[in-house]
Amino acid sequence: MSYEPKIISFLCNWCSYTGADLAGSSRFKYAHNVRIIRILCSGRVEPTFVLESFRKGVDGVLICGCHPGDCHYHEGNYKCLRRYELLQKYIQQMGIDEKRLSLKWISASEGKQFAELINDFTETIQMLGPANYQEKLAYV
Amino acid sequence: MEGNRIGVYICWCGTNIAKTVDVEKVAEEMKLLDGVVVSKSYHYMCSDPGQEMIVNDIKEHQLKRIVVAACSPRIHELTFRKALENAGLNPYMFQMANIREQVSWVHSDREFATQKAIQLVRGAIHRVRLHEPLEKRSVEVDPATLVVGGGISGITAALTIANAGKKVYLIEKSDKLGGHIANIDLLFPNLQQASHVIQSKIEKIREHPNIEVFLESEIEKIYGFIGNFETNLNHGIDKKLKFGNIVIATGMKPFVPDVVQSYGYGKLPNVITSLEFEKMLMEGSIKTKAGFEPKHIAIIHCVGSRNSKTNDYCSRSCCSTALKYIHQINSALPEANVFDIYADMRSFGKGCEELYTTASKNNVAFLMFDQENELPIIQASKSDKESNLVIEFKEILSGDMIMVPADLVVLMVGMEAQENAKLTSQIFGISVDKNRFYMEKHPKLDPVATTTEGVYVVGACQSPKGVIDCVSQARAASARVLASIAQKTVEIEVTTSTVTEEVCCGCQTCISVCPYKAISFLEDKSVSFVNEVLCKGCGTCTSACPTGAIHSKHFSYKQILSQIIGILSNN
Repeated sequence: MSYEPKIISFLCNWCSYTGADLAGSSRFKYAHNVRIIRILCSGRVEPTFVLESFRKGVDGVLICGCHPGDCHYHEGNYKCLRRYELLQKYIQQMGIDEKRLSLKWISASEGKQFAELINDFTETIQMLGPANYQEKLAYV
Repeated sequence: MEGNRIGVYICWCGTNIAKTVDVEKVAEEMKLLDGVVVSKSYHYMCSDPGQEMIVNDIKEHQLKRIVVAACSPRIHELTFRKALENAGLNPYMFQMANIREQVSWVHSDREFATQKAIQLVRGAIHRVRLHEPLEKRSVEVDPATLVVGGGISGITAALTIANAGKKVYLIEKSDKLGGHIANIDLLFPNLQQASHVIQSKIEKIREHPNIEVFLESEIEKIYGFIGNFETNLNHGIDKKLKFGNIVIATGMKPFVPDVVQSYGYGKLPNVITSLEFEKMLMEGSIKTKAGFEPKHIAIIHCVGSRNSKTNDYCSRSCCSTALKYIHQINSALPEANVFDIYADMRSFGKGCEELYTTASKNNVAFLMFDQENELPIIQASKSDKESNLVIEFKEILSGDMIMVPADLVVLMVGMEAQENAKLTSQIFGISVDKNRFYMEKHPKLDPVATTTEGVYVVGACQSPKGVIDCVSQARAASARVLASIAQKTVEIEVTTSTVTEEVCCGCQTCISVCPYKAISFLEDKSVSFVNEVLCKGCGTCTSACPTGAIHSKHFSYKQILSQIIGILSNN
C-alpha cells in the first residue's frame, strides 16, 4: 500500500478558502490528503496550531492567505509571514524538516493554482515520508 | 453531557455529494461519537424540508448543537444558522463541514472521499462541542451605492436605485456613458432603435439629482464590508466615497477574430466583424471596401465561440443578432443574397424563434458547418467577374463541399471577459470562472449576488448575454441593493476579540498589530481593551498575544485545536 500523508491546511476565509471553493466548483481534481481548517485570516494562525498538528501526527502543514496587498484585514497576511519565518527557524531547531511547513498565497480566483499547490505539497510530503514527530514534541 | 446533545446532518446534494461520498456510512459512523443524539443523511439539507428536519429534531430531541456536512459554509452557513434560530437555538451553536467543494467535487475515489468526509465531519463535531452562544451585532447600512461600469447594465442599475431615492456613484473608465450598446443600430428581437433605449437613460442620468457620475475613473482599492465600504477615487482631486453596496457591471470585450486563420480577418478587407457591420448599419450604408453595394453577403456564426481553440462557451446573443442582420440587409438591399453560415441556430428566448421564422422568408440560404472540426475557409476569388471572396466549407446537412461567393463577409464575434477581469475581481474580493467571467453566488438561488456580501455582478461581466438579460440582471441586483438599504442595518459577524483582563500583562503587542486601531490601553488597569465596534475579528491580536489573554470568539484556540484533534482522531 502506498503511503498516504496526513496534511492539515489553514485557509483564510476571504481569499484562500474561496479559492479552494472555486477549485471545487470548477471540478479541479487534487490529492485527497489535505484536511482544510477555515480561519478568518492567516494572521490568526498561532504557532501552536502548527506545532500541535505535528504533535498529533500530521506529516505536513500548509498555511494559505491572501496575496500581499489583498488581505481582507489590510495586513494580517504580513503578520502571518513574519510569524511563519520565525516558526520555520523554530521547527528546524525542534528537528522538524522545514519542507513540512509551507506558507503560500492563494486568491479567491485561483482555484486552479490551489489544486496544483495541493498536488505539489502532497508530493513533497510523500517524498519526505511519514513525519512521526509525536514523540519528539511530546514534552514541548 | 446535557448541553452536548448534537444533531449531525449529511447532505447528498442530489448526486453532487452522494455520487462520490457514501453519505449513509458517514451518518452511521457519526452516531458513535460522544454527544451525537441524531445523525442522518438527506437529499437536500438546504431545502425547506431539510431545514424543517433540523428544526423538528432540535425540538423533539432537545438538541443543543448542530453539524451539517454539505456545501461550502460560504454558501449555506447563514441558511442553517437561521434554521437554528427558528428552533430557538443560538445560531452559533452550529458548525459546517464542507464535503462538496472540498471532497466530492475534487476527488474521484469513493473510499478516500468517504474517509475524508468522515474526518471533516468528526472535526466539526469536536469543534461544535466547544461552541458558545454569541449575541448578534448589527451596523447601519450606508444608503449610497457604487455602480462600476456605465454600459446598459450599470446605467439601468444606477437609475433603478436612484429612482428609489437613493444616492448612486456611477464609475465609468471611458470618457462617455453607454458602453457597447451605443455602437449598435437595432436591437433584437423587436428591431427597436438601440439609441432610443440608451440615450434617454443617459439623459436621465445626467439630470438625476441622486446620481454622481465619474468618467475616466477606475477603482483601485475597496475597503470595508457590506454596509460600510469605501474607496479613494483618483479623479483629478482625491475623493473619498462611502457606500453600503456595490454593483459591478464592467461588461465584456468583443472577440478579435484575427487568430482564426481560415477567416483571413485583417488580411481580406471585405471580411469584417459584426461590430464593424453595425457601424455600417448605423451610417445607413452597406458597402464593400471599394464602395460598391454587395450582391452577396455571407454571415458566419460562432466566431470565437463554441470551439476548443478559442472559447468553449456560447456567446448567447450572436445568432439572434445575425437574424436581425438578415432582416436589415433585406430591407436595405432587397436584391442581395444572404448566406447565413451557422453551426447551430440558437435563437432562443421570447420573440427570437419568431425572428428566425420571419428571417427565413427573406432572400437567405441557411448553411450549416462543423464548428469544432472544419471551419469555413475564406479566400480571395480568382475570377474577376464573380464576387471578390469565396467561402469554401463542408455543408453538413447535405454532406457536400460547397463554395459560396461573397462581396462582404460578416463575422459574428463572441464575447470575452475584460482583460483586467482578474485584477478587478481581486479588488472587489470576488471570484472569476475559468473564462474570467465573474462568479455569481449561486446560478439559481442567488444569481446576481457574489460570495462577498454586498457585492453584486450584473451584465456581460458575469457571462455573455444580450441586452434583455443585462437589463433583467441589473433590475434584480437593484432590488437586492434596495432591500439591503431598506433594512437600515445589516447583521455583521460577531466573531470579535476580547481581552481577559486577569491574564493580560499589559505588553501592548496586540495594539501594535491591530489593523483597525480597535485596541486601546487602559492605563488605570494596565490592560488592553478591544472596542468591539471597530474590531473586525481577524484574530491577529489573538495569535500575537504572548500570555493567551485575547480570545477570538468562534475561532478560539480551543475550538480550532479541537477541530484538528477531531480530524486526526479515530473517534
